[in-house]
Amino acid sequence: MISTKMFSSVTFLYLACTVLYFNFLAFRSEQLGKVATALSWATLLIHTAAILWRWVESYQLGMGHAPLSNMYESLVFFSWCIALLYLLWERKMKSRIIGAFAMPFAFLFIAYASLAPGVSDRIDPLIPALQSNWLHAHVITCFLSYASFALSCGVSIMYLLKIRKKEKGKKETGWISLFPPLESLDALVYKTIAVGFPLLTIGIITGAAWANYAWGSYWSWDPKETWSLITWFVYAIFLHARFAREWRGKRTAVLSVIGFAAVIFTYFGVNYVLSGLHSYA
Amino acid sequence: MSKKEEKGFFSSLGDSLSSLKLTIALLIILAVASIFGTVIPQNASPEEYLRVYKFSTYKILKILGFLDMYHTGWFVFLLALLSLNLIVCSLKRFRITWRFFSPEVRLSDRQWENLSPCQKFSQKGLPAQCFSQCREALSGVFSLPKIVEVSGAYHLLAEKGRFSRLGVYFIHFSVLLILAGALIGSFYGFRGNVNIVEGQAADQVVLRSGQQARFPGFSVQLEKFSVSFYPTGAPKEFKSILTIMEKGRKILTEPILVNHPLTHKGITFYQSSYGVAGVAKAILAVKDRQSGKEISIAAQMGNRTEVQGSSSFFFLDRFLPDLQGMGPALQIIFSEPNRPQQNFWVFQNHPEFEDQRPGRYRLTIKEIEPRYYSGLQVTKDPGVGVVWAGCLIMITGFTMTFFMSHRRIWVRLTEKEGGTLVAIAGSSDRDRTGFEEEFEKIAQALRETQRAQEDYKEREGRS
Repeated sequence: MISTKMFSSVTFLYLACTVLYFNFLAFRSEQLGKVATALSWATLLIHTAAILWRWVESYQLGMGHAPLSNMYESLVFFSWCIALLYLLWERKMKSRIIGAFAMPFAFLFIAYASLAPGVSDRIDPLIPALQSNWLHAHVITCFLSYASFALSCGVSIMYLLKIRKKEKGKKETGWISLFPPLESLDALVYKTIAVGFPLLTIGIITGAAWANYAWGSYWSWDPKETWSLITWFVYAIFLHARFAREWRGKRTAVLSVIGFAAVIFTYFGVNYVLSGLHSYA
Repeated sequence: MSKKEEKGFFSSLGDSLSSLKLTIALLIILAVASIFGTVIPQNASPEEYLRVYKFSTYKILKILGFLDMYHTGWFVFLLALLSLNLIVCSLKRFRITWRFFSPEVRLSDRQWENLSPCQKFSQKGLPAQCFSQCREALSGVFSLPKIVEVSGAYHLLAEKGRFSRLGVYFIHFSVLLILAGALIGSFYGFRGNVNIVEGQAADQVVLRSGQQARFPGFSVQLEKFSVSFYPTGAPKEFKSILTIMEKGRKILTEPILVNHPLTHKGITFYQSSYGVAGVAKAILAVKDRQSGKEISIAAQMGNRTEVQGSSSFFFLDRFLPDLQGMGPALQIIFSEPNRPQQNFWVFQNHPEFEDQRPGRYRLTIKEIEPRYYSGLQVTKDPGVGVVWAGCLIMITGFTMTFFMSHRRIWVRLTEKEGGTLVAIAGSSDRDRTGFEEEFEKIAQALRETQRAQEDYKEREGRS
């Protein structure tokens, strides 16, 4: 299939973007940064075209469903969400600094889609449980929220790297000195979660609405449901700690990393370690 | 216990119930407990548990309620405590939030110092003259400003998005509503399963608890079940055509599919499983090995079927849609004179097997149609509507909290050496950069209207 080949090349392009963003940090070259941004937009464009092309291919195979229906397709879409959200952020903030910590996520997830054994890139027809319009709303909101949390995690890692250097009393040298000030990083950790949390909520609600049609209950403590709630709890703790107890900086950055770990377990762990109704992706 | 101590106890209880530490602790405990709930299989059979755990471990887990954790007393207690904490915290906080709804228009000097962004500039003309343009400049973008005049000085306050302060209460209320909906469902709802064979009807359902529940004044008949597969072998569609019967009358007939349930009088029927209950229609070819004649016989499950023109007869005992991968098979009990009764399988796709069997007659399956049963999940949940209302309110609350901001701009016009000293300051509870841009525009507009006014007056004066 052409789309699969396109996704493979997109994988390498995201790797190239990652390398460029790192070099931009290391050599502090505005020129390199511009190249990184241009290449990222181009990659996102190809990525979008490939997703649309896969949709067309599914029609050619006589199935005709959106490419959001299995592990492979969800990974590809996850990667797309991360790249899109990052690039929008970059445009808004006019800063490329977090690129080196955002693009690796886009690369890793799409690379996992192509390389991991057991992740089939075949287009399969929709099983009865997936034949629903809730599929689109549910998958799109969930992965946009996951992507937002991925960015938050990337920024939190930057924050933690920077503060560790500071706490050791070392003078900031090298590429860490290029990171935005701690306050801006901290604000960004919050802002990305402020986008991701409502989206996750809508993702859970659309999932519940769908489950009420397909499984006969809006909530049945299925491992996927439960883990999405655990993730929701972690970010709820983040928001309450930040707003009402005025936690800032290191502690909230750690919470954001824990939150993303919960996201990853909700996404992968539940499928690989636990078993349940939600076995598609 | 003295009265004083009692009060101390209750007020400290109140304090801990209204503390955010408790909220965070409860959320952590609930999250960790939920992890256990996903790792330990829930509501499995004792045999399944004993395959994984030692007997003693199984006993302990059972006593602690970990085997049906989400419905166990302590888990429900934690949820109740969280709700109580939510209510107390929200009430406590609401007193502070409510102040935003009767705001101070006239700020003290100290309050002015703490506001940022803040700008001061002077204008020609007395405050009373500057005042109306100032009000217009503000009301263009913000609400109509509130005005207080104190001894010739004017104080204005314009606001936008004040109600977004209530978003958090919407969210907290929605959590309570969702939990209330779940509670209603668990008290007044039920969940069960019923298998209905094609052509038959059911008017009650066996619940998970083992009890039975009747449908209120109606029964459900399964007209037909069908299943189809993709070429890959994956299932494509499970469909049951159901008829609702009331007092022997057909009320409606509708297909149900996965993702497409049917609701009648508050009870919802979901397509959940299926199986083969027997044979709807079977036509056998019976060949007399002596005469070479073949006749077709339609047979029914369980009924004695005569082979015409002889004293032989047979029963269809069992039907399997797929016996050991060899396709549809019928188990037949055959009886012919001067022979012991025979019990054997006949395969639709392997008629050659019959050649091996001794006896006067050779049987093959000409046509066979299974009779399906459909497994329906039957649910009654009067709390669903409340849960959806909670979800909508929650989304509204999030929109208010995260995507709107409460922006305020104060303007003070005081007289200074025959002119006016304009002070403008603002505050926003989120999106500071966005607000600062807006503030700058408004401050600019204030200066410009005044300047335009002056130009106009100057021109007037000259002409």
